[in-house]
Amino acid sequence: MDPSATGSTGVRVAGVGMTPFESDSGRSLTDLAAAAAERALADAAVDPADVDALHFGNALAEALDESAGLANALAAALGLDGASADRIENTSATGASAFHRGVEGIEGGAAGGAESDRTDVALVVGAEKMSAGDTSDVTEAISRLVHRREYAQGITLPSFGGLAAGAYLGRHDAPREALAAVAAKNHGNAVDNPVAQFRKPIDVADALDSPVVAAPLRLYDCCPMSDGAAAVVLTRGGDRGDDESVADAADPDSETFRAPRVAGIASATGTHAVAERPDPLAIDSVRTAGDRVFDRAGIRPDDVDVACIHDAFTVLELIELEELGFYETGTAWEATLDGDTALDGDLPVNPGGGLKARGHPLGATGLSQIVELVWQLRGDLPETRRVDGAETGFAINVAGFGNNSVCTVLRA
Amino acid sequence: MTVSNQGVRGSTDDGLPADHAFVCDDCGRRWYYDRRSCPDCGRSSADASAVRLETGAVVATTTVETTPPDVRAPNHLALIRFDGVRLIAQAADGDLSPGDSVRFDGSHRLREGRDRTDPRLVAVEDP
Ligand SMILES: [Zn+2]
Repeated sequence: MDPSATGSTGVRVAGVGMTPFESDSGRSLTDLAAAAAERALADAAVDPADVDALHFGNALAEALDESAGLANALAAALGLDGASADRIENTSATGASAFHRGVEGIEGGAAGGAESDRTDVALVVGAEKMSAGDTSDVTEAISRLVHRREYAQGITLPSFGGLAAGAYLGRHDAPREALAAVAAKNHGNAVDNPVAQFRKPIDVADALDSPVVAAPLRLYDCCPMSDGAAAVVLTRGGDRGDDESVADAADPDSETFRAPRVAGIASATGTHAVAERPDPLAIDSVRTAGDRVFDRAGIRPDDVDVACIHDAFTVLELIELEELGFYETGTAWEATLDGDTALDGDLPVNPGGGLKARGHPLGATGLSQIVELVWQLRGDLPETRRVDGAETGFAINVAGFGNNSVCTVLRA
Repeated sequence: MTVSNQGVRGSTDDGLPADHAFVCDDCGRRWYYDRRSCPDCGRSSADASAVRLETGAVVATTTVETTPPDVRAPNHLALIRFDGVRLIAQAADGDLSPGDSVRFDGSHRLREGRDRTDPRLVAVEDP
């Protein structure tokens, strides 16, 4: 069999762990990161001494006056002496970019070089402590993510969300309730997720009654600011071209059975100045990264059993689902109202609550999506929040308002 | 009116006035958000001129209630299509709707604490 046609990277997620996401953890950034890392190492049954590479994702440390040299401090805290270590920053897609680097590090090592130089075990950690600054500091730091001519107009990320939401509802003649239904679904999914920031169910009326942030978006259409960390342990193994590994992976009693395979991962940048997009509802980076990852994984959107979508604003869940090809343009809102994206629907979206209700600690978010998918694919979740029989999981983590997107496909 | 682009690149100010776009001296391509070269012909943006935008059409609008400390609240914003460029800018009021014709007008401090002023978008009556 030609390995290039098999749709797999040869990298497995051997273990995952995360801290609860919360508005103010009262813990330091390194503490949060180390707690998530220790859970992932324990879950993978990997000794810290066996970690070859540490990739640490964090977005806002400099803006919020936290310490530099984060990866080295974390390596020391975990006792990873001798491991390589680096820090990755890609604004709100920092977590998925760190995951991407971890996968590439193991894949690159497989291409050649001395065995002692290879990365066989990578620890990828994402953490953010947004409570480190007061709200206006964080808002200011995030508002600097836009183009300077956008900044001059006082434009913030929710401003883009409001413009896109108005355009979406107007063009597709969709009711305002469609956005509220995304919020209600994702809040409902978080109720039974112990690591979610918001575990109180809300209904469509609650969302429609919340204060306006950027019309037509209201408070319940927008993700919160969060503290939290998430981590994964990546290992080599399970190439699909290797018959023995395939048999091994299919055996529930084997060691590797519980380690989902990274079937594909891809990143893409898009237009930086949001206004320059020919269509305010078209996000090139989402479409490009999606096309690439489906191609690399050798699957189509139809094959996905569960998806984690970057719902920083409710309207983004709808736009991304359409840009990625899960739904025809202008139809994701109807699918949402019909319950298609609910936990028991055809395509469960954000079963852990999404950014909306699980929370959005920038550096950790993309990794928390991977953690959720691994839990779903392993099936080790209570029935109330499990997608039955899920074998293929998809995640998209988006930087800014679509400046850069990272897509991942995992297979059980 | 044509304004030189010299001195804009690399400076810490906000660049051109809000009602001006760049125009490539070679091919005539316009762009609004600073870039290093013409997206069509590749000519350095150091050789670009500035052109004042006339009338545009509203594509989308929002009114932002939660704004940074130095930005007015509510902040009325509109995504506008002008000849050759698209941009998002502050509107004078919250009365614009998609399809409306607009132009830039007036002199306003868009962020407090800055010493420059810029025009905002206003509706133009159809002739
Ligand atoms: Zn040109």
